[in-house]
Amino acid sequence: MIEVQALRKSFQARGRSIRAVDGVSFTARDGEITGLLGPNGAGKTTTLRMLYTLMRPDEGRVLVDGLDSCAQPGDVRRRLGVLPDARGVYKRLTARENIAYFGQLHGMDDAAIAARVERLVAALGMQDFIDRRTEGFSQGQRTKTAIARALVHAPRNVVLDEPTNGLDVMTTRSMRRFLHELKAEGCCVLFSSHIMQEVAALCDRIVVIAQGRVVAQGTPDELRRQTGQQNLEDAFVQVIGSEEGLFA
Amino acid sequence: MSAWWTVMRKELLDAFRDRRMVIVAMVVMPLAVPLIIAGMGSIGSKRQEEKREGTLELPVIGAEHAPNLLAWLVTHDVRVLDPPADPDTAVRRQEHEVVLRIDADYGEDWRAGRPAAVEVIYDSSRPLQSGATIARLRGLLASYDRQVGTLRLIARGIHPAVAQPLQVGQRDVATPESRFDLAQQMLPYLLLLLAFIGGMQLAIDATAGERERQSLEPLLATPASREAIISGKILATATFTLLSLLVTLAMYRIAFALVPAGRLDISMAVSTEAIARLLVVVLPVALLGATVLTALAAFARSHREAQSYLPLLVFLPMLPTMFLMVAPVKTQLWMLAVPFLGQNQLILRVLRAEPIAPGEWAVNLGAGLLLAAVAWWVATRLYHREHLAASS
Repeated sequence: MIEVQALRKSFQARGRSIRAVDGVSFTARDGEITGLLGPNGAGKTTTLRMLYTLMRPDEGRVLVDGLDSCAQPGDVRRRLGVLPDARGVYKRLTARENIAYFGQLHGMDDAAIAARVERLVAALGMQDFIDRRTEGFSQGQRTKTAIARALVHAPRNVVLDEPTNGLDVMTTRSMRRFLHELKAEGCCVLFSSHIMQEVAALCDRIVVIAQGRVVAQGTPDELRRQTGQQNLEDAFVQVIGSEEGLFA
Repeated sequence: MSAWWTVMRKELLDAFRDRRMVIVAMVVMPLAVPLIIAGMGSIGSKRQEEKREGTLELPVIGAEHAPNLLAWLVTHDVRVLDPPADPDTAVRRQEHEVVLRIDADYGEDWRAGRPAAVEVIYDSSRPLQSGATIARLRGLLASYDRQVGTLRLIARGIHPAVAQPLQVGQRDVATPESRFDLAQQMLPYLLLLLAFIGGMQLAIDATAGERERQSLEPLLATPASREAIISGKILATATFTLLSLLVTLAMYRIAFALVPAGRLDISMAVSTEAIARLLVVVLPVALLGATVLTALAAFARSHREAQSYLPLLVFLPMLPTMFLMVAPVKTQLWMLAVPFLGQNQLILRVLRAEPIAPGEWAVNLGAGLLLAAVAWWVATRLYHREHLAASS
């Protein structure tokens, strides 16, 4: 379970302070897929970066399975499987070596890594390229390698930043299937996206972020009820659009 | 298995699969160093030899005034040339290394038994180019002077020893190992330079390159601490550098073992034991270099920016070599604690097969490792900056 409580983060840019995240709170539960939806620049990536301890929040805190990310960053990272926005792989290593490297960094032994890689290869459909060096991989092959690498230690909490970015339709479908499998295994899955259809198709709960704040959250049904819209897409446009209207 | 060990192994595997990096570090450098030393050495000694033993080309002004002197010079391998119109300018412009002027009154003075004047025209501001030639001409003139003087004393019934109160003998205590020539003075600098920045490509690739290829952020999201990650990268860089140096020194040893012993009057040979000692001497420099390069790569915003600091780093190991050329000093213990200067001194002493006391080792290695530790601390601080991975 991931609990985000009143997170704030500002950046200094050319002498000006820019507030990227301004009081974001939500909870992502085990056995559910939680979607973080918002336009580009809304603060999704910054929120996730604080969550997996790459950045320190100015205020607020993050609890992963009850552990504070600032107090126990190593333990928090151990409980997380993270697919960041940056998903480069080592091009002189094979896909299997890329995955095994992260397994070793998680303290796994060779047998455990080998067993886990076999499962991930089957789940993600990586049979054709698992033992090839990743130089010249397609975007989809690279993303699959990065996801397998992020999940090599079978984490209970999975955080994915825009996982379907740049993927073709077939790969996107297999990715969705895979997220459902993780959910069925009881994992807490949190992913960010700016694509409404994707969030609508996958998520049990949706957190809508705009301009660094949570503007709405709940199940798809709750969001429809709150906005009085039948169509989820219209509901999103209304919460984001009206908020933007307020700031304009 | 510790995280630093995992990172180090992965970086070395990655590096050894980079064909270009391996060829440069393990083939080009090891071939270049002996070639540079041997090339400079043989050119240098050949030039000196030519000056000492070749024909001395000597423009003479007023040659007609001293036919006997000139005849004597010719028998001593001097070729007399016509004098230039303006001898001072000609020497200054290096058209001639040296010009001899014979005074118009030479013949008259000679016959009267007065010292007859000759003048050596030379340019002292170029000792490396013309020093040997000037010395040779002076030596010839002094020898002629002595010879004629001796004959004159005998002609007057005086024993020549009367005019020779001193007999100056000379004994050179240099051993073959210590008889260095200028070219071999380059070796400490080349070794230190290689040790310091030999791992540049790996270090920059492992941090700035990793960030540019977007793999640093996932790496930092693993439970491995940043200290462990940076330590693994530093140790991989230092190991790679030391391997490159080992191959270089092995090539150096093989190259100079192939030169016939009689060809060189100085010993360029390096024993296996000396190679081991040299590697110990450069170990702190390799660690320091790996750490500084990694810190730089973490500090710089890009691969390109990291490489732009390179000229500065090339300059650092050069400083003590330059200092020693300008002010050659006897080694004091404190000097061994000065980075680069201390290593430079110890490398020279290993090459000269001079003993190094345990205390001297301790000061040098202690100071070097301490400095590397400080640099490591700074580098880990830089690795903790949020900008490191999240610059986008």
